[in-house]
Amino acid sequence: MKKLTATIMTGLMATSLLAGCGGTTTETTQNTDSQPSSEKTTEAAPAADQQADSGSADSYESCTLTFDWWGGDARHEATIAAIEAFEAKYPGITIEYNYGAWSDWETAKASEYLSGTNPDVQQVNADWIGKYDADCTTYLDLNTVSDVLDLTQYDASTLAFTQDSKGGQAAIPIALTGRTFYWNKATFEAAGLSTPTTLAELEAAGPIFKEKLGDNYYPLVLTEYDRAIMLAFYTQAQTGEPIIDQNGNFTLTQDQVKDALTWITSLEENHVIPTIEYYDGEGAESIDKSARWIGGEYAGCFTWDSSPSSLQNALPNPDDFEVGCELMDTGKAGSGCYVKVSQMFAISAKTEHPHEAALFLNYILNDEEGAKLMGTQRGIPESKAAYAVCEAEGAIDPVVAAAHKSVMDSNPMYWNPLFDDSSLKGDTAVYNTLFENLSYGVRDGSYSIDDAAQDLYDAYVAVAPAK
Amino acid sequence: MANVQTKTASQAQRDLERKRRISLVIRYFILIVVGLFMVYPLVWMVGATFKNNSEIFSTMNPIPMKPTLDGYVHAMDNYGGTINIWQAMLNTYSYVIPEVILTVISSVLTAYGFGRFKFKGHDIMFTLMMAMLFLPQVVLNVPQFLFYNKIGWVGSKFYLPLIVPTAFAVETYFIFMLIQFLRNIPKELEEAAKIDGANVVQTLTKIIVPMLMPAIVSCALFKFMWASNDFLGPLLYVKTPAKYPATIFVRLSMDSESGFEWNKALAVSLISILPNILVFFAAQNQFVDGISAGGVKG
Repeated sequence: MKKLTATIMTGLMATSLLAGCGGTTTETTQNTDSQPSSEKTTEAAPAADQQADSGSADSYESCTLTFDWWGGDARHEATIAAIEAFEAKYPGITIEYNYGAWSDWETAKASEYLSGTNPDVQQVNADWIGKYDADCTTYLDLNTVSDVLDLTQYDASTLAFTQDSKGGQAAIPIALTGRTFYWNKATFEAAGLSTPTTLAELEAAGPIFKEKLGDNYYPLVLTEYDRAIMLAFYTQAQTGEPIIDQNGNFTLTQDQVKDALTWITSLEENHVIPTIEYYDGEGAESIDKSARWIGGEYAGCFTWDSSPSSLQNALPNPDDFEVGCELMDTGKAGSGCYVKVSQMFAISAKTEHPHEAALFLNYILNDEEGAKLMGTQRGIPESKAAYAVCEAEGAIDPVVAAAHKSVMDSNPMYWNPLFDDSSLKGDTAVYNTLFENLSYGVRDGSYSIDDAAQDLYDAYVAVAPAK
Repeated sequence: MANVQTKTASQAQRDLERKRRISLVIRYFILIVVGLFMVYPLVWMVGATFKNNSEIFSTMNPIPMKPTLDGYVHAMDNYGGTINIWQAMLNTYSYVIPEVILTVISSVLTAYGFGRFKFKGHDIMFTLMMAMLFLPQVVLNVPQFLFYNKIGWVGSKFYLPLIVPTAFAVETYFIFMLIQFLRNIPKELEEAAKIDGANVVQTLTKIIVPMLMPAIVSCALFKFMWASNDFLGPLLYVKTPAKYPATIFVRLSMDSESGFEWNKALAVSLISILPNILVFFAAQNQFVDGISAGGVKG
């Protein structure tokens, strides 16, 4: 008996050790649409017969290109289907591909950049141009292959997002993403309210939620990084200027920072948003995995327009999910919101086949057939041709489309990647620690709004000098 | 009188018996409570493979209320015909097993050398080797990648950057453990072997290795566990999906941006750790001996 128990115990202990490998790291910065369109991806119709009428592909050499990306199941399937269709259409070009999940992906890619073994064509994250292409020698200037790669499918303002420091077109923005509000209609109805359309309505909802539904119910939930973005939107709507401008200068004064922090704190005090302590107390990895969101206690969240599906599908009744609008509109300077590039495609500057790489990139981004197969797995495509195809195919999820429209219609402002500098954004960086300290500190008196304003101002100015 | 004495004797025996029982109950109670705490995550994991996402995140109950087999059905999915869970597991063991064998051989040789022979620079080399024990893998990643890239092993079909280093006794911890174990093996045995005419190699294979067996099994099991759990190594050095091991395969569908079905991820994890559990059960007696002997007497 003893031996048996010991056997089982040690066995299970070892199993727990083994099982420990299954952890995940969450990355919430880049977002893409996740509409599973697997039924479409199966239509990978070999289209070798179309080769004759595709004029732009007049000549190419037989070669092997390497290509990699990260993502989830639906994206892998769609991309593989597009690659197979491309290989069928352009016999002689072989695509050697490699893919994975986001966790630790950048670690592996960083070593490749360091050793110069990055693939010919690559899915690139929004901040990689600054990180790995600072001297403009990592990614090919795509203007040099614009005879094959149709850059006219993109607005100049969109292309401007992905230029390197010398003005070269380092990458192609696949999709733009911005932040918007999502509401749980059912909870608002239970409180006798309609979903907020102005900031005042949202602020008024806090006390009503507390009174009618109880202490556990909040009209909105904001994590630390959400608060940093809210702060940017709030101040941008007031000043009419990006928080960090094109020249890399921080545009706010310390007093303005203090005002905004006072406002965020007032949201907590008025029961509009839970304290960080309350949010962290649940230990949910992200909002869509929070039992309070699933159960309707958090009736709203503020997140990327490209990722509503996981939030929506988490609700017991997905029809309760409603896309909100930008709330910060002060009438003076618009909504204050910004958009940024979610992901990009780039060609390596070291590739031996830039022409063929561009041909491939053009196929998956702009070609009717390629765009159809790629679908909206990386967000709503910025390429006009691809957008038209996806719209005609009905591939764009109505919720995502509505959210994206709400963002794009609100006249988004310029966004400087310095806003996401590693000293500001990250687990132990300023946004996280500062908003956490503020949330805890104002209640026990250990950290005041003045302290926070000083620290946040200093942190911004260290990255982006004051104007 | 004699009667009374017998009574007290049997009474005392009964008391003793009762005490023993109470202590047994208490001990087992504590063991069971602690055991339940430790087992709960695993039981939960097994239960969660049958749940959907909203049930996974909204309840602690390990028993699924609305059981679904989707997780296991999707776990069998193929990615573009190049990789599925069975291929991934096969890939894993195709480098884990050589790694284990090479690690054991190289570690035993090195430990034997350091433990039994005095040579010039012995102390300084031993110190250097022990210092390696404290070197985190993170700082090695980049230089190692550059090195393997230079000699063209990155993306190797035979997992060379993962397997070959293990032939050079890179697992310092095992060498340390084996040396500690070696200290408890009487030198007289080796001397006797020498008198009988055994050479150094024969002494090692015929005398030392059998005596070291429990420690060797521990090393092999540890290496087996670590190697099959390694994620970053394959991520850096394996460049073709068809060659992905199980650790990477498990993560392929785990895209936190768009959300994913956790039951699939958990089902894949569960299937892929089954061989490890079996190996562990098969070798666990020796394993426990090895750790306790190496640890306590050292």
